[in-house]
Amino acid sequence: MSAQREEKKLVTITIDGKECKGKYGDTILKIARANGIYIPTMCYLSKVEPIASCRMCVVEVEGVEGMILSCQEKAVDGSVVRTTSKDLYLQRQNIMKLYNVNHPLECGVCDKSGECELQNKTLEFGISQQNFTAREVHKKVENWGFVSYDPALCIMCEKCVRVSNEITGNEALQISVGGYRSTIVNVKNSTCPSLGESAAVCPVGALVSSDFKYSSNAWELKRIPASCAHCSSACSLNYEVKNDKIYRVTNDFEFSSLCGAGRFGFDFENRNAVKDPEIFKEAISAFKRANTISFSAIITNEEALILQKLKEKYKYKLVCDEAYGYQQFLKAYGSITGETLYSGNLNSIKESSAVIVFGSRINDDNPMVKYHITMASKRNRARVAYLHPMEDSNISNIVTQFIKYEVGSEEGVAALLANTFLSSREISPELKSFLDNLDIGNISAESSVGEEELMALLKSIDKKEKLTFVVGSDLYNHPRAKEIAKLLGAIDKYSDFSFVIVPPATNALGVSLICSLDEKAEGYTVGYNSKGDFELSSLGDGDMDMPALNQQEGTLTNIDKRVVPTNAALSYNGYVLNDIANELGLKAEYTIDYTTHLPEKAGFKPENFDNLPSYFDNSGIEHRGYLLTSKSVKAAEDFDDIEELPTFDGAIVYNCNENINMNIFTNVTKAFKSDETYLKGSPQFAGIVKLNDGDEITFSANGTKYKRVFKIDESMKGTIALNPIFDMGLNASLNNSYRFSRLNREQ
Amino acid sequence: MAHIEEHKETHTVQKEKQNYVMLDLGKTPKFGMPAFIQVVKRSLSLELLKGLGVTFREMINALFKGKMHTTKYPFEKLPISPRYRAIHEMLRLLESGHYRCIGCGLCEKICISNCIAMETRYDENQRKEVSQYTINFGRCIFCGYCAEVCPELAIVHGGRYENASEQRAGFSLFEDMLTPIDKLKEQKEFAGFGSISPNADENIKKTPLAY
Ligand code: SF4
Ligand code: SF4
Ligand code: SF4
Ligand code: SF4
Ligand code: FES
Repeated sequence: MSAQREEKKLVTITIDGKECKGKYGDTILKIARANGIYIPTMCYLSKVEPIASCRMCVVEVEGVEGMILSCQEKAVDGSVVRTTSKDLYLQRQNIMKLYNVNHPLECGVCDKSGECELQNKTLEFGISQQNFTAREVHKKVENWGFVSYDPALCIMCEKCVRVSNEITGNEALQISVGGYRSTIVNVKNSTCPSLGESAAVCPVGALVSSDFKYSSNAWELKRIPASCAHCSSACSLNYEVKNDKIYRVTNDFEFSSLCGAGRFGFDFENRNAVKDPEIFKEAISAFKRANTISFSAIITNEEALILQKLKEKYKYKLVCDEAYGYQQFLKAYGSITGETLYSGNLNSIKESSAVIVFGSRINDDNPMVKYHITMASKRNRARVAYLHPMEDSNISNIVTQFIKYEVGSEEGVAALLANTFLSSREISPELKSFLDNLDIGNISAESSVGEEELMALLKSIDKKEKLTFVVGSDLYNHPRAKEIAKLLGAIDKYSDFSFVIVPPATNALGVSLICSLDEKAEGYTVGYNSKGDFELSSLGDGDMDMPALNQQEGTLTNIDKRVVPTNAALSYNGYVLNDIANELGLKAEYTIDYTTHLPEKAGFKPENFDNLPSYFDNSGIEHRGYLLTSKSVKAAEDFDDIEELPTFDGAIVYNCNENINMNIFTNVTKAFKSDETYLKGSPQFAGIVKLNDGDEITFSANGTKYKRVFKIDESMKGTIALNPIFDMGLNASLNNSYRFSRLNREQ
Repeated sequence: MAHIEEHKETHTVQKEKQNYVMLDLGKTPKFGMPAFIQVVKRSLSLELLKGLGVTFREMINALFKGKMHTTKYPFEKLPISPRYRAIHEMLRLLESGHYRCIGCGLCEKICISNCIAMETRYDENQRKEVSQYTINFGRCIFCGYCAEVCPELAIVHGGRYENASEQRAGFSLFEDMLTPIDKLKEQKEFAGFGSISPNADENIKKTPLAY
């Protein structure tokens, strides 16, 4: 039966005499592309729903009158399609002529020249004269922060609008319809860096990056395929380089996306590093002396492996505050599910019809997760439940249910969720007795998550096909993280949710799989992008220089549980960690020699770095590095009773990098660098702490001292203020405690 | 013998075509004795003085009759053909005085000795501005490709051939090559390498206009 259904799901059509197979529901264009058959298009963008505004993709289908839009038309089994004929050619030629009416003759200066769809197709269809005409109207160039829009060049393909609606969820761009006078308008006057994603898909030079605009011809730039270094999505991107300078970042926009940090925050390299043998000697003796190596999770898998090997050799304590909590969390989670890895990935978020986000200000923590939730919301009308102590106005357009819980009550919330989703399921006796023992009324009151809210949540996901549960970094350093992880593990095990446990930093997943981490530093400490008695820094402000992630090759492990390669875009003249390791008795010519030795026990494969692919194929399948294999671990169910939920009264600060300034590295880039160190709160917060906009405030939170300028944000509510920590330099990685804390003011 | 005849044949062909004139230099003596006789003959007929006489006559012509043939370089220079390819000039628009270069980068791309380096940027007037432009004349081979490819007739080869400088790469900044703004009136439309043909207008295909 199921085999039959599978068969039904396939369609076979003949395109230009070639038999092509595709999935039921695929469009003719999609099948053609997957089979390497070319159909010209101007408005088609694989990652959004068909736009159907250009009519270039017309084809003829046997037995059907007239021309068919192949980008939109679902393939019918057995149909015979022709993609070229004299009529089709003339039709396409006329379309190109229309696009060229009054199109400014400015290829000479235009950024897009050399990679412009209009240029290419004008040549392809041999447009040597024009027989259409229209009265030209003046259209003004507009600058929208990171991007600039020249309506005179715009061909109104609508791709940018779709991207801003369907993918980034920014919803700023719209079409102002007016026939020949139509333009794109920025209805929100947004200057958000995510507009860069819209600029990336623009087939002409109408919407371009303001920073890159007019600075180089496309063909002068060398493309270095790499992975974004800023968050755990490690998106695929190309650094485009000339004269040892990155001019811009591009990506395979048909199938993948980049957030603003990836697209505009590219110049974080450690520029002035040199080899100083004296300092090198000092570094070696520091390593010989050290008891602890403390490092940030923004490093490659290979470097993590080097550190692990050094630990084994020299019995160091290995401390990575960003990854430690996460590692423990995954372990506890795995002790219930029996797997080392979580079950979902970005794609499963995109395909879900209901998403629950718990314990993360997701828009700021991981933009790519937010984009995928947006896609689910727009395309599948997914229900999105957002569970957090703070409402986030940036995602109010996709969240269907906001459930606010009290700061610190996460364990209770996890228990309530487990109870809601699992009580009617077949579960283990241990879990059953745990759930039976819960004092639901009490927990619900303490955490202020109402039972009706949970019922509404349960109802909203009822009969939904694909469910995803997104877990974020509020939980990893929670005092009760282990118990929370176990409860979530139980939900994963006994319900239909697939889980994405968002790694809290670029390579936190890789580090937690490769290194055996220790909780606390002890004695003399060498810090790698982290505080220490001897500091190795990729920011160039430590005792010895290290390459930044755009200056070195290696692999990262991303949220998709994929080991992805990244390459050096810029030169680097200093020492690398491998030089130190060689001096300390390890042996490898290059850092990437370690790629083959990444621990198979943890799910890595013995693949050679140079054999790792990095591309998307015609049908959009990602061939980038390889996927980790999840290993089975022993599962044993024992659940601790819930501890009494703590109360956080008064003013609270929440450590959270916002507005795409994601970490200490984005904060050195030209696009995001901000000298402003601020604490941002609602008017209500201002009232409690008796502060005015612009006041200076010194406070300590979880043992770290902060000096900030207070800003009032009218769009915020409640008594929790945002405390961005991207300006903390090497101190940033010391943030290993629960993200919320009471505000302790100092004078 | 055969060889000589052949030579004569080609010689006549050339003569017809190109007006070469064969000088009657007589026969070059091949043996010691005739050569000796030629030397004696020439010495005794005072050919040396004949030569000095010619020089003297020309001197008189030059000094007193205004028939000077040498140019007093560097005070005087010979006019050179517009097709001569020496140091580049950057031209300005005659109406606005703005430099013509639009920063398209084609000259940089086409240059076979890779000696043009330029940088452009998005300026305050939302135009493409040429923020840096240099030609390394230590490398330039004066092939003229840059002038040929320029869509704006902005870069041309001028007639400035005096390239002595302390540095081989000298006088190569954009400003050095640009027509000085006060000399704009004297800027000549370029007729040399890469310029448009005199009948360019006839070759243009017209586009319908809605005005
Ligand atoms: S958009 Fe394309 S066709 Fe138009 S000026 Fe730019 S490069 Fe030329
Ligand atoms: S700005 Fe670009 S992407 Fe947007 S409609 Fe115009 S041409 Fe299309
Ligand atoms: S003349 Fe030739 S070698 Fe010299 S700058 Fe122009 S293209 Fe380059
Ligand atoms: S080819 Fe002409 S217009 Fe283009 S950059 Fe060179 S000088 Fe300027
Ligand atoms: S690609 Fe089908 S209408 Fe544009």
